[in-house]
Amino acid sequence: MCESCVDRIFSQGPAPCPVAGCNRTLRKQRFRAQTFGDIQVEKEVDIRRRVAKIFNRRQDEFETLNDYNNYLEEVETLTFNLLNGVDVSATESKLAEYAAQNAAVISHNATLEYQESASQEARQAAEKEETRLRREAARREDEDERRAREEGRKEILEQLTHSNKNAVEVVKETKRVEVLKRRRAAQQAKAPATATGGGPSTKPSPFIIKGLKSTTALSPEKPYDPFGGLTDKRSYYVLQDHYEHPWLDQARTDPHITAGGYSVKEYCARSMFEAFSGLGVFVEEEVAGRGDASEGSGALDAVATAVAAVKAEGSGS
Amino acid sequence: MALSPAIPSPHTNSVTAKVKTLSVGNGAASEGTKSTAGQGQELAEQLNEETKRKYVKDKKIGEGTYAIVYLGHLRADPKSKVAIKKIKVNAEYREGLSLDAIREVKFLQELSHPNIPALYSVFSSKNQNLNLVLEYLPLGDLEQLIRDVDGVRYGTADVKAWMGMLARAVWFCHENFVLHRDIKPNNLLIAADGEIKLADFGLARSFSDPYRVMTHQVITRWYRPPELLFGARYYSGAVDIWSTGTVFAELILRTPFLAGNSDVHQLELICQFVGTPNDDNWPGVSKLPDYVPFGKDGSQSYPVRGRDFYLQTFGTVGAVGVDLLMSMLSLDPRKRVTAREVLTHKWWSTDPTPTKKEDLPKKGAGGEARMAEDLKRRAGELDDGRGVKVARILDFSGMK
Repeated sequence: MCESCVDRIFSQGPAPCPVAGCNRTLRKQRFRAQTFGDIQVEKEVDIRRRVAKIFNRRQDEFETLNDYNNYLEEVETLTFNLLNGVDVSATESKLAEYAAQNAAVISHNATLEYQESASQEARQAAEKEETRLRREAARREDEDERRAREEGRKEILEQLTHSNKNAVEVVKETKRVEVLKRRRAAQQAKAPATATGGGPSTKPSPFIIKGLKSTTALSPEKPYDPFGGLTDKRSYYVLQDHYEHPWLDQARTDPHITAGGYSVKEYCARSMFEAFSGLGVFVEEEVAGRGDASEGSGALDAVATAVAAVKAEGSGS
Repeated sequence: MALSPAIPSPHTNSVTAKVKTLSVGNGAASEGTKSTAGQGQELAEQLNEETKRKYVKDKKIGEGTYAIVYLGHLRADPKSKVAIKKIKVNAEYREGLSLDAIREVKFLQELSHPNIPALYSVFSSKNQNLNLVLEYLPLGDLEQLIRDVDGVRYGTADVKAWMGMLARAVWFCHENFVLHRDIKPNNLLIAADGEIKLADFGLARSFSDPYRVMTHQVITRWYRPPELLFGARYYSGAVDIWSTGTVFAELILRTPFLAGNSDVHQLELICQFVGTPNDDNWPGVSKLPDYVPFGKDGSQSYPVRGRDFYLQTFGTVGAVGVDLLMSMLSLDPRKRVTAREVLTHKWWSTDPTPTKKEDLPKKGAGGEARMAEDLKRRAGELDDGRGVKVARILDFSGMK
C-alpha cells in the first residue's frame, strides 16, 4: 500500500483492513517501509523473524549436536507450515503455547543474544534494564500483596457489617481464606518455574524438545561465617574465667601492669594450651601412617640414599 | 648414625633448613671432623641443597636495604609461582640473623591460615643468606586500593569483606598466642583470588609471660595504640585491635585516620579525635612510664567522643558498624574488644552481606612491584614519601 493511502485510511486511528474479505483491524504504527522488492520474500522474512524470536534455544542448551539439529528441523517444519499456509491455526496455537510455557527461557536467551551483539556500554545498559525490571517485578509483587491484605481487611469489615456472625469467627474465616489464596498463588508461581526448567513438565507440551540439558538450580548461599569455618574450641579442656594463683595476683592488680592492657587471661589461655598440646598426638599411629603414604616413604628413601652418598664420600676421601 | 627425625616432603622441610642456617656458626668449627655429628651437619646441608634446588628464581622484582625479592617457581612445576624473599646479611647483625627474619620464619611456619601468607620453605644460599619461599601475592596491597581514590571504588560490603578477613587473621594470631604488632594497610597483601593476607611478621612475638617486659617501640606510628605511645611494657592483643580499628577507619575515610608526624603529635591526634585519656576513662593511665598529662595546663581536653561523632564521620558503614569501630578504638585497652569479640559482633550478620572475595575490587597493574616493595621493607617502616616523615629506628633495648 502506498504511503498516502496509509495516511488517508489510518490517520484517524485503527481501521479495518481495506482488502476485501480481510477483517483485521490495522494500525498506522504497524506499517513500515518494505525492504525487499518481492512481497513474498518480505513476508517470509517477517515470519522467520517472529519464529526465531520464540524458538531461540541455543546449541549449548542441548546435550548433543544431533538433538540440536532435530530441534532446528522441527522449528523449520513449523516455519514452513506458516509460510505455506499448512495447518496455520494449529501451528499458531503451538507457537503461542510454546511461547507461554517457555517465557523465561525465551527472554533469557533473548537477553543473552542481545548482550552478545551489543558493545560493552550497551551491555551495561541492558544489565541496568534487567535490574530495573527485576525491581519493578518485586515492587509489583509487594503491591499485590498489600492489595490482597487490604482486600482481606475490607472483606472482614464488610462481613462484620452485613452478617450476624460472631466477630472473632468472621476474622478467623477470612484469615483462613486468605491463607488458602496465598498458598494457591505460590503454587501457581512455582508451576511455570518448573516447566521452564527444561525438565519434564506436568502438562504435555505440544512441542517436545528432546535432549535438553537439565539446568540445575544454584544452591542457596550459605550465611557469612566471620570465623571462616574455624573454631577455637579446645578438645581437651575448658578454659575457666579465673585461675587462682598468688603469683598472678600482682599482674592482676598492679596498675603499672594492668593499665597497659596486660591480660592474665591470655597468659592462662596460653598456659593451658601448652599444658595440653601434644595430647592429641599419637606417635605410633603417625609412624604407621607414614609407612602407608608412598610420598613419605619416598622421602625416607631419599634421605637414606643421601646418607649413603655421604657415607661413601666420607670413606672415599 | 644419628638420623634427623625431620622428613623432607614438599613444603615442609623448612624446619630442617632453618636448623641448618641457624647452626652454621658451629658448623664451621666441626668442619673436617668425620664424627657422627659432622655427618649430621652434612645431612642438614644436603637437605638444604635439595630444598634450594626445588625452586628456581626467575627474576628480581625488587630490592631494599633489608631484603631482595624474586619471583620464582617450583622446578617441578613451571606454572607454579612463588615469591622468594632473600634477606640480606646485615651489618647490624653480623654474628647472626636479623631479628626480623627470625621472627618472620618462626611465626609464618607455624601459622597456617587462609588470611596469613604461606611460608613454603626456607633455605640458605651462599654467604648464609636466608631465603624465604613465600606465597605469591600478585595483586598489591590494601593501601594501594585505599589511596587510588579515582581508580578504585568500593562500598560497605567490600569494607566488610576486607575487615572480615583481617579480623580472622588477627583472631587466628591471637588464638595461637602471637601478637602481630605491625598491622597496617600496606601489610595487607591481596592474593590472586582477592583474599587478604596479613603479612610481615617481622615485629611479631608470642604473648608475654607475666612480669616480663615487652618493647613499646612497635607498630607503625599511625596505627599505634595510646598505651604503646605512653610506653607501656606490659600489653596484650588489644594493641593489634587498635591497629585493626584504625585500618577500619582508614578503609572508610580513604585517608589515614590518625596520621601523626611524631609520637607526641600522634597522641595529640588521639586526644582530639578519640578522646583525652585520663584516670577516669582509663584507670591507671597516669602510672604508665611515658604518660604525659594532656588537657591539664591550659591545653584543651576533649571528652571521649560519643556515638554521634562516629556516626557523622564513619556513618557509611551503618550504626552497627560504627559500634564495632568504637569498641575497637576504646582508649583503655582493657575495655577494647578482643579479636574473638570482633568476630562475634553482629555487624557481620547485618546487611549488606560481605562481598565475595572474587568480586572484590582489585587493581590490575603494578601488583608485582608492589609486593616486592612490601616484602623488602623492614618491619615497622613505611617507605618512600611517607617514610621520610615517619621512619624510625627500632629500639630493641627493651627486649632484654
